[in-house]
Order: sequence, then C-alpha cells, then structure tokens
Amino acid sequence: MTAILHERARRARERALIRAWEYRQRSYSKGVWYRLRRVLVEAAQAWIIDETDADRLETLGRVPHPVGRELEPPKRIFLLGEEESSMVRHREQVPVRLCSRLLNARSLLLVLHRGAEGASLPDVLNR
Amino acid sequence: MDFRTRLLQTLRAIAPVLREPGILVVGSEVPNLLEPEARSSLVVSEDVDIAVPVENHAAVKAKLREIRGLERSGEEPSVWLPLERDLIEVNFIGMDARGGRAGETYVLEDDTFPLLVFGHLSLLSAGKTLTIADLSIPLPRPAGLIVEKLLTDRSGEKGDRDLLVALALLLLADAEDLGELESLYVGLAPDLRYSLRSGLSMLSLLEPRSHMPDPTPHRALIARLFARLEATEKDP
Repeated sequence: MTAILHERARRARERALIRAWEYRQRSYSKGVWYRLRRVLVEAAQAWIIDETDADRLETLGRVPHPVGRELEPPKRIFLLGEEESSMVRHREQVPVRLCSRLLNARSLLLVLHRGAEGASLPDVLNR
Repeated sequence: MDFRTRLLQTLRAIAPVLREPGILVVGSEVPNLLEPEARSSLVVSEDVDIAVPVENHAAVKAKLREIRGLERSGEEPSVWLPLERDLIEVNFIGMDARGGRAGETYVLEDDTFPLLVFGHLSLLSAGKTLTIADLSIPLPRPAGLIVEKLLTDRSGEKGDRDLLVALALLLLADAEDLGELESLYVGLAPDLRYSLRSGLSMLSLLEPRSHMPDPTPHRALIARLFARLEATEKDP
C-alpha cells in the first residue's frame, strides 16, 4: 500500500542529490543560468541596445557584467542607473525575464531598481 | 459553488483532525486562507495539505474515523477523496521537526495511515489559528512556509505556482516574518541556501498568471530580500 509513497520519497531523495551536485557545480558552466538570473533580479527594466551604443558605453568606461561573457554567443550586459541609462537613445524594451527576445540580444542595458544605483552589485560569480 | 466555500466545507469535514495538537494546514491554500475573510482568490490547486507531526501520528489516526464526506484513496492511503462535490481532496503529509530524522524525507509506515514525511516541512512551526465561524484553522508561521515554497524542487507549471505562493505569502509578511525568514535561511545547509536564492531569482522573472499574484510590480521587493539574504553569506 505504501509503494507510491516510497517511490515519491525516492524521487525526493534523488532531487536532493541533484541539488547538491548543482551546488558543487555552481562555479562552472552549470551555474551560469543562476548568475544570469541573479543579474536580472537587479534590473527594473531591460533594453536591447545596438552594438554602436554598446561600444560607446565601453568607451565611456562602463564595464559589461562578466556573466555575459559566459554565454555563447557572448553578450554585453550593462547595468546602469535610470538617469545614466538615458544616454542610450536607440533601445528597445524587453520584459525582464528569460524570454527569447532578451536571450537573443547581443547587447543589453539593464536599468537598476530605484535606490540600487549607488550600491555595487555583489560579485555573484561564485554564489 | 465557489472555491472558498468548498475549501472551508472541507476543513469543516476534517475539523476533528484539525483540533489535534500540532496539526497544521499547509501548502498552497495558506495564502488563500490568509486573505481577508479567507477570500481564496488564488487558483492554485483543488486540494488542501494537512501536515501531521509524526509524534502525534497515532492520535491523528484515531480521529480519521470522525471525518465525514471524504474517504481514503485506495491507491494513495494518505490522500482522502471527496464523496461530495462541495468538498476537495485532502492530502495528509508528515512533518518531523523534532525526531532523529528531522529534515529527512521518508515514509512513515503504518497499516492504514502511512505518511510521506517531507524533510522541508521541518522548517514549519505553529502560527496563528484562524477562526471562521465555528471553524478553527491552525496555520504555520509564514516564514517557514515561504522558505519551504522557495525550496520547491518541482519544475514547470507546478514549480512556478509554488514560487507564486511564496510571493503571495511574502506580500503578507511583516518585518518580524522577514527577520524569521532570514534566520531560517541562515540555518539551512549551503546547497539549500543556494537553492532558495535560485528559487527567488526564478520568482523575480516569472510571467504573470491569472488568479495569482504578479511578480512584476514586486521585483524591487524581491531584489531587496535577495540582497538581505546574500549579505548573510560569509563566503559567497
């Protein structure tokens, strides 16, 4: 009578093993989705920007977030405050979620939540 | 008949069990019950989960015979199925917060009332008892349930709904609840803390769903909670 319960318990224990494995792998490619989501958590808005504007931001000293280089093809992901983001005029807004438009973009501008502009985004690469 | 009525009728049908010490109504129906007048506006699932402390298993088992309008499922003995259309399914699950196996997922064997004991339910503790007319509904403290929901290991639609239930509870949480949530988080193993943060990040990016809270306007709140939990990490 308890066969179903034992099977469910077995699956739960299996998922716990997978979770522990994923945790051990978090610093490698397995963890890139988490790191990308972590960066997106900080964003109030997401905009696709063109390569010229991305070049200009880099010229102005804005450093793309390293998680973008872990993706293939790599992306340039800039995190800026709302005021600073206005320097990029040619941009197309996309929802802040893992949708195809956001994932297909080569360069992204993420506008930080209000009040988070002054704070430094924690180094999430190893979290 | 609306869902609220069915939910409350079901809880009334199992009221003798709910009066047993340590019993908690848990799972996705909790935010429904916490709405004003238990409005139950969220469409989550058409069942209700009842957590049974393993130390009170025998006493709860004795009360099962007083349940009216539901019968034990032949296939899954911890599930009770409605005999009437105005009731919903009841799932009894085990909770082991104090025994030697606390935090472990295992089967509590019994001839007639076996239970699947879920490890994460050990995070729950008794909260307020909701009173609706003659019905007393024992609920867990919100923080433990939020953590439990954020640790969901379900994927797809069910996993997303678990996360949205966590959001519904977060939106009701006060400063004390958030402090308790942080304490529970700190007490988790590193892989569970990572898993919880992962769940929180997924919640932040979920699409709106009908009859569920929309994460979009609350993304800044989620980001603040994320930063608060992250700040507790000694070796990020």
